[in-house]
Amino acid sequence: MPLRCVILLLAKSAIILGPVWGATESEDTFFESKVRPLLAKRCYQCHSKKAVDDGKLKGGLRVDSLAGLLKGGDSGASIVPGAPDESLLVKAIGYLDEDMAMPPKGKLPASEIAILKEWIRSGAHWPGTDKSVLTALTESEEPYDWEKFRREHWSFQPVRKPDLPEVKDHSWATSDLDRFVLARLEEQALSPNPRASRWQLIRRAYLDVIGLPPSQEEVQSFRRDESPDAFAKIVDSLLDSEHYGERWARHWMDVARYSDGLGGFLDSKPLPNAWRYRDWVVAALNEDMPYDAFVTRQISGDLLDGAPDPLATGFFVVGPTYISDGGDPEAKAQAEAETLSDRVDTFSRAFLGLTVACARCHDHKFDPVTIEDYYALAGIFRNSRLGEHPVDRDEKVEAYHRAHKEFGDHRNRINEWLKEQGQRLKQSPNRVHMHLDEAGKVTLAEMRAEEKRMKESLPPKYEFAHVLSESGSNNMHVALRGDLRKKGQLVPRRFLQVLSDEELRAYRNDGSGRRELAQSVTDPSNPLTARVIVNRVWQWHFGKALVRTPSNFGVLGEKPTHPKLLDWLAADFMEHGWSLKRLHRQILLSSTWQMSSAFDENNFSKDGDNRLLWRMNPRKLEAEAWRDTVLEVTGELDRTVGGKPENEILESTRRTLYATVSRSGDRRRSDEFLRLFDFPAPQSTSAERSVSTVPQQYLFMMNSSFMKARSAALGHWLISQSATVEERIGNAYERLYSRPAEPGEVALGKRWIGAHADSHQTWTLYAQVLLSAHELFQIQ
Amino acid sequence: MKFLQHELDYRLATQGQLTRREALRRMGAGIGSIGLASMFGNAEASATVSPLGPKQPHFPAKAKRIIQLFMPGGPSQVDTFDYKPMIAKHAGERPDCVNRKSLRNTKMGLMPSPFGFQQYGKCGKWVSDIFPKTAQCVDDICFIHSMHTDIPEHAGGILMTNVGALQPNRPSLGSWLVYGLGAETENLPGFVSMSPRAQPRGKLANWGNAFLPGAYAGAYVNIHDMTPDAVIRDLKNTSLSRQEQRKQADLLAQLNQMHLKRLEKDQDLEASIHAMEMAFRMQFSVPEVFDVQKESQATRDLYGDSEFGKGCLIARRLVEEGVRVVQLSHSIDGYDIAWDTGHNDIAGGHARLAKACDQAIAGLLQDLKGRGLLEDTLVLWGGEFGRAPTSEGAKGRDHDHYGYTVWMAGGGVKPGFSYGATDEFGLSAVEDRVHVHDLHATVLHLMGLDHEKLTYRYSGRDYRLTDVHGHVVKDILA
Repeated sequence: MPLRCVILLLAKSAIILGPVWGATESEDTFFESKVRPLLAKRCYQCHSKKAVDDGKLKGGLRVDSLAGLLKGGDSGASIVPGAPDESLLVKAIGYLDEDMAMPPKGKLPASEIAILKEWIRSGAHWPGTDKSVLTALTESEEPYDWEKFRREHWSFQPVRKPDLPEVKDHSWATSDLDRFVLARLEEQALSPNPRASRWQLIRRAYLDVIGLPPSQEEVQSFRRDESPDAFAKIVDSLLDSEHYGERWARHWMDVARYSDGLGGFLDSKPLPNAWRYRDWVVAALNEDMPYDAFVTRQISGDLLDGAPDPLATGFFVVGPTYISDGGDPEAKAQAEAETLSDRVDTFSRAFLGLTVACARCHDHKFDPVTIEDYYALAGIFRNSRLGEHPVDRDEKVEAYHRAHKEFGDHRNRINEWLKEQGQRLKQSPNRVHMHLDEAGKVTLAEMRAEEKRMKESLPPKYEFAHVLSESGSNNMHVALRGDLRKKGQLVPRRFLQVLSDEELRAYRNDGSGRRELAQSVTDPSNPLTARVIVNRVWQWHFGKALVRTPSNFGVLGEKPTHPKLLDWLAADFMEHGWSLKRLHRQILLSSTWQMSSAFDENNFSKDGDNRLLWRMNPRKLEAEAWRDTVLEVTGELDRTVGGKPENEILESTRRTLYATVSRSGDRRRSDEFLRLFDFPAPQSTSAERSVSTVPQQYLFMMNSSFMKARSAALGHWLISQSATVEERIGNAYERLYSRPAEPGEVALGKRWIGAHADSHQTWTLYAQVLLSAHELFQIQ
Repeated sequence: MKFLQHELDYRLATQGQLTRREALRRMGAGIGSIGLASMFGNAEASATVSPLGPKQPHFPAKAKRIIQLFMPGGPSQVDTFDYKPMIAKHAGERPDCVNRKSLRNTKMGLMPSPFGFQQYGKCGKWVSDIFPKTAQCVDDICFIHSMHTDIPEHAGGILMTNVGALQPNRPSLGSWLVYGLGAETENLPGFVSMSPRAQPRGKLANWGNAFLPGAYAGAYVNIHDMTPDAVIRDLKNTSLSRQEQRKQADLLAQLNQMHLKRLEKDQDLEASIHAMEMAFRMQFSVPEVFDVQKESQATRDLYGDSEFGKGCLIARRLVEEGVRVVQLSHSIDGYDIAWDTGHNDIAGGHARLAKACDQAIAGLLQDLKGRGLLEDTLVLWGGEFGRAPTSEGAKGRDHDHYGYTVWMAGGGVKPGFSYGATDEFGLSAVEDRVHVHDLHATVLHLMGLDHEKLTYRYSGRDYRLTDVHGHVVKDILA
């Protein structure tokens, strides 16, 4: 049972039934004969102890005790004794508000409504209950036992660097990291797989780090390099490659629910410059920006002293910004509430691994997050607005503004002149031109000609980025049941209570609060931030994370499979300046990462899900890496880094990272292709991609013009490279799969090619099969 | 030749001389392993469970499949199936119970329906003159007159109807159903959404899978253009014969199989081999199932000569082939919220809309019944809300989310039955009110799913179609 419920029940059972305080017999009779039966018949099904037991309680409200009515449900107290008109219960049964119309199946007869009104008006007497005691008790209730959560839930405990565990097989555990993995395996009497073959390793490293396969030459030179640090050299060169930033930016963009706007209905604003945020992420990763700075800038880059970095705040701006359709107040409030929910949800899941948005309508059912926590954070984003930040040369920006100002000034001068003439001629300014003398006409014509000339020579808009900027410093009311029109208490902007050790400290009132929010997130004593990112990096290297719910470290999330390893990595990461590249190197050079992905009957039967890491997870390439690989092996890939997106990526030879992504997922052919291969819907932050295998993927491989063009290119290349069928087949295997072809594969290929060794068409069809084979989109 | 045997069995199955299940049994394979077992004659080939393989419902159910006839834009209840003679008696008046603010207001007073109403069937149901053919089927229909929803605007209302939430980030009703039940076809997607020309407002969200795995997304087909590539992208190979394609597919299967042998066991790869075979078959089965010319002239006449009629006929062909969910949205003139023509002109707008779908609906119900399919096929008709009995302008009606009508037929609902009621003028649901969440809970129940148990864990929370709401409307169950 969730802790929250336990506390509530305890609080309720603690209510002491006091003596009957001056009730008259007729009050008791009226209640027992009219009121209680009515409540039981009409309301208990959803609002009683039994409803709680049946899991059918609605709106958090119980009406089978006075305590329940006074405390009320999600919307607050149900009755105000003596004041029926101020009582929510009366509003609800009167069907005055569609949201709250009760009972939902149909309105009560007028006679029953009158009984309940009368009961409340006369003081809401409930036999055997003392109202004053109840009121005091319900007000002092704390929603959670904060200390218990901080002490007992693993992710809220401080990060401490554990000692390295003892292991038996020191030859396998070559790095500190490996000892944590091996210790768990040895506990369970499982043995880790040996190192992967050299060709598997280099292919795995290239695909993992830069999202592209190695060339035949790169494979050959690695196979020839006998030095002990041969693989370390490969790792260093890959991390130094600018393609590393491209590959890993895309992982982060899943979390940032990146899109180029185009959400369609209710979120239709295009974001033509969203790509500047994408390029910011690529550059930040390539220069190994420390992760705490990476976070700080995305939350508050515009507010940094000295060297502000506003482009980073694109993190929030690339998300959905909803509008209302008909413009009725409910729809407007809903649109704003939904937009704020996106900001709080993305912020809390991305950086903290907490689902704070669950507390939008009521305290979180499972995690220690109150509805006040939610509106404390939502208030920060409500004081931040979407803006434009120029990224052009100063002269160009100035020239633009100057030209527009001069143009405006000139127009004003014309209007002034017309006004003066109008006064002189006693005409309205828009009729002046018909009454001017010749000289006046010439003057006006000259001014109009100048206006036209200026308008035509106005410079085009300078380049700009979508950013967040400050728009106020106001606290926000709790929105009852998530409805912004129904205001609850005012909450100061601040950090989450469970992550604030001392007394809750409101953020300063000189801005939105983003600056302080970033400090709260990156404070080394925050137990979540470092754990969350090292866990994500682990997932992107292994396919599965140590905490398999990477954006939920709360009570409903999974616990880490290797808690000590997670803490060791997080502590080590912070000790070494939050460097992501150092973390990559640590992982890539471990025996754990270099294990083979081979199947093992014994291990598989004990741990089929590979939670203990007895092998490298075999996994499929994502849509981007698969398409990039296809273009790379056919020799067609355009490796240009950065810049404006390609509207139709299937018509382009650029990396898939540069596809225009529409949030609705149906604006472009590109979107359809990406979705088909499990690209996540950028409507909300995505922690992990689903991996689906559907027939439509093969229809794409068999019949699409994209695949036909790639196959023709590869077929052509195979023919051009060598004269014999064997050599061509061998070439294909080395180029596509980074390994030599097996004799059986060569024989099969030869049989298939048959007498058509000179046919372009045959080699094209053969190439298409090799490009569609599972091996091409698998990382072993 | 094992491949030929497989092809032969497959052809027999599609020609109806052998049921698909029999074909599978003859090939010594269970559903889901047809590709492997048929290619390698190995009955022990590990069954790769396709995410769309049929799954057991939570409890036995009458309805095995559903056809949703979606009427976006808001059909007016008092001009179609919710007969309110009292409006005429109080024309122009504004009694208290109609004085509620909807999208705009009701201050123009009550406006009588421009259409006549007649009684039909044994149940004596009053139906508007604009649905004369559907009216002939009232003894098979279960009407719910007490629907209500959250907001009176199209986008939110449509999303509420099709995804159970006001914003487009939740899985659709259809995707929940195929997630819960899978499909009974190896050759077609489990969930097909169709409309002529215009996609209903909200587009993808209406059949999308949101955070459910991609296999549960509806496949959208625009029935205006029936060329294969428009039906499903890249469906047709434009340059190779079936034989040449088979040769290529065989090579791919063999290479993947060699790879599998090296790896010993790999579920992704096994699923790949399976998907590739299904893709191969889809190229030929999909154009066939969408080709209404395969039907007799008599059957085609039953549905009438309209785009919606073509859609209804395809819907029947799809469910017959084992597709679990078909969503057919009404649209004329390429308008994405067709029934919204009621703002300016109920008499003209609604009459035209009804004419464009009436015969098709009746044809579908009769055809399903004649083929014995109606008893285990659920048909659901309705829009995202209704229209107020008061007038907007002189001849139109504004949105009404306080009360409206939907109806169901077949699969486990009481035939010839009417449930719930609006007030005497038809504005608000007052008796046995049914929220959209309740309708969803009921549809899932009819299909054998408990709406509180059909959950999907996403970002740390168990999501449901009905969120934290929904009660099954037990009184309409047969």
